[in-house]
Formats: sequence, structure tokens, C-alpha cells
Amino acid sequence: MTFFEDQLKEGVFQICYCKNCNDTIWPPKEICHKCHNRTDWKKSTNLGKIMEFSKRESTYFGLIEIDDGIRVLGDILSSSIPEIGQSVRMSVSFNSKPHYSFLVENN
Amino acid sequence: MNKVAIVGTGQTKFSKDERDVEKLLFESASNCIQSVNNYDSNDIDGVLVSTNNNSKYLGAILSETLGIRPKISHSIEHLCSSGTNAIISAYAYISSGLSDMVLVSGVESATNPGQVLEWDRSRGNLEHPIYWGSMLTKSHKRKFQTTEEELAIVSAKNHKHAMDNPFAYSNEPRTISEVMNSKQITDDLRILDCSRSCSGSSSILLASEEKAKIFSDQPIEITGIGQKTTSASFTKNILGEIESTRIAADLAYKMAKIEAKQIDVAEVHDAFSVCELMAISELGLTSNEKSGEFVRDLFNTENRMINPRGGLIGAGHPLGATGISQTIEITNQLQGKSDKRQISNAKIGLIHNMSAAGTSSSIMVLKN
Repeated sequence: MTFFEDQLKEGVFQICYCKNCNDTIWPPKEICHKCHNRTDWKKSTNLGKIMEFSKRESTYFGLIEIDDGIRVLGDILSSSIPEIGQSVRMSVSFNSKPHYSFLVENN
Repeated sequence: MNKVAIVGTGQTKFSKDERDVEKLLFESASNCIQSVNNYDSNDIDGVLVSTNNNSKYLGAILSETLGIRPKISHSIEHLCSSGTNAIISAYAYISSGLSDMVLVSGVESATNPGQVLEWDRSRGNLEHPIYWGSMLTKSHKRKFQTTEEELAIVSAKNHKHAMDNPFAYSNEPRTISEVMNSKQITDDLRILDCSRSCSGSSSILLASEEKAKIFSDQPIEITGIGQKTTSASFTKNILGEIESTRIAADLAYKMAKIEAKQIDVAEVHDAFSVCELMAISELGLTSNEKSGEFVRDLFNTENRMINPRGGLIGAGHPLGATGISQTIEITNQLQGKSDKRQISNAKIGLIHNMSAAGTSSSIMVLKN
């Protein structure tokens, strides 16, 4: 398992970035694709916004943008129909693959 | 650079049955070889196989089963656009003079590993294509007021075209209302909006201009090629756009010295209904806002200009074979050999093949 996956398992989404270029590296890599120096890690704020959403059976899912423009697909937990631009809080886990889920704030 | 032409084609029927890839490859390649004049196995100096299958050394295996000892032989994988990538590689070998005649064979079994891109961690556990298909569809509806009916017309049209394609996986007619009432996979995708993975194989023979006339009475020249890969992760796409298609189309038109309006017939990559609407817009055939109306008009007037063989939705999607089957359709159209599917007086045709939610596109322009 990679550091990123290991941390997801602990419930932490680590953002990979390059100190030298001040760039976010997503998906995470050990080496920056611009300057080829080693990258660093910082914890996500776990806050994001809904870019688009749909629903499968009774579960909403969508494209969410979190810190530094990182976008992921995940489940959206909401008791009402989500809205574009709505603020969400992310929780993560890892079980053979990443799992991102988003709770609509002030739900 | 040598000019390159298509001189032979062969296919197998696409089906839901799980079939052996080596046998499928041999079947389509054998049909292809039988379609050319003056065949001599010594003339083929390149054998390329496009597939997502994990079987090894398929280029050499196919060569041996056909009694060919080529100079160049290998496999090519690029998810759903493996087929056109293999043809374009063959083009490069011939145009550079490294090869004179290349057999390109694509194949897939119904259950294949090319449907999910595990590397893309940004998809989380929602790795199946239905999730990005839903995002693209919802976004198109939101941005361009595309209706459920307009999306259903894409599928109804392509199923109708596929009825006249003997190699298609589906020969069943589907009305607009059948599509609209088909099983909801998500709130934004119905089962009949989705292309289905299946087994099948298709093969094509390319030759230098000098050799082409020996093997075909009607060689079809590849006059334009454009390719672009913008990323591998779906989540780096700009919703509502297929940037890779727009860039690749521009390159292909420049190389072929044509404009979009000159295209008589096109095979476009309708992985989901919305992809056809997005593709025809990015190719410059219409605008996103008018794409639904454009397809409705084709359907109402029985104009088969877009996806005459039934597209991926009607014909099925054996990933490694798809781009080659698309190219065979346009070749046959330009040769006037498409029977009931024939577009009258087709002179210029286009193939649009893409991978992984449109993160990569390959486009070819053919002329008769």
C-alpha cells in the first residue's frame, strides 16, 4: 500500500504537493512532474463543493472539488436534492480501493 | 512520406458470448485477407493487434496462425481507442517506409479488463464508466437544456441503423419510448443509453499507395489524422466538453485540408448517448445547444450520416475491435459497399474513437 492509501485507511486524505513549484500533485506521486524533486504532504481540510451530481438507487453521488482544485467522485449524503456549489464535508476510507463520501453541510 | 491506403477489411459478428481471443483474431484476419486481390503472405511485413485482453504475444501468435513472418509485430493497448491507435501506428510504419503492408487486427472478449481504469484513484470506488457517463449526461442537460427525449433519439437511431449491420451485437429495433422506459441505471442513464461490452474482432489491411492498387480495385486513402490525450483521470475533464476531441479534430482537418462541413459520413464514439451529442459538437458538425435537434433531424429524415453501422450503442463495444470496425464502416461507405446503410455519393468520411471519458481522442479522415 502507498502512503496515500495507508492514510485513507486511517480516515485521512493527504494532499500531495511540491514545495518547490507550489503545485498540487493529483493523483499523488513521490516525485513532482515539473521539477522532479520529492513531493510533500499536507492534510486536506475535508471541505469541498459539489460540481455535479446524480443518483443511483437511493444514493446520491457526484463530482466534488476539495482543496487546491482536487476533484474526486464520491457518494453524497443528503436528505434533500443536492445543489451545485453546495458545501460538503468529506470522509474517507480504503478497502482495496479508495472510498470518498460527502456530507452536505447544514443538512 | 508515403501515402497510405486501406486495401482490405474483415470482421466477426459481435456477441455477448465469451469467446477465445486467438480464434476471434484468426476469423476476422482470415476474412480480411480473403477480401484482397493477389494475396501473398510474404507481402505482409507488419502485424499489429489491438486489445485490452491480458493474453501475451498476440501479434506473433496471429502471424504464425496466418503463416506470416512479418518484420514488425506487437500488441497495442489504449483502452477503448486501442483500434484506431493501432491503425495510426500502422500508418506511421508505412508512411515512414519501415513497412509496406500491415495487418491490423482488434479483438476483445465479452468480459475484459479494459472497462475499469484502476489507476484512476480520483474515481474512488465509483470506478465503473456509468458514473462518469452520468456526470457528462447531467451536465449536458444542465448546460445545454438537452432533453431525455433527445438523448433517447441517439439510442433509437443507432439501434435502428444496427438492424442493417450483419456484424452488430443487437439487431433489435428500439423505439424512442422503449429507450425512455428502459431500466434506469442512475437518475441520468438508462440501460439503452449505454454501449455494451461484447466479444468480437475486426481486421484491416493497410498498404503504401504504390502497393495498394495491386491488392484493391478501390483503395481508400487515409488523408487526415489527429490525436490528443489530455489526462488519464476522468476528474480532470472540464464537464460539458471533450477537449481531446476538439483538438484532435482540428489536427485531422488541417492534415486532410478539409472543413467539418465537407464530411459526408462519420462514425463517432457513442459510449453513452450523450457522447454522440458531445462528439458531433466538438467535431464542428453542430453546436452543443443544437446537437439534440441535429440528431432528431437525422432520425426523422432517416439520414444515416452519423453512425451508419449503429455506433457502439447499436453494434456493441468490443473495446480493441471498435475503432477498427468504425474504420471498416467508413471505408465501405466510401467504396459504395454499404448496402442498405449506404450514404449516397459519400466522398469524405471521419472516424472518431476515444478512451476513458474522452481523456484521449483519435480521429481519422478518409477519402475515396
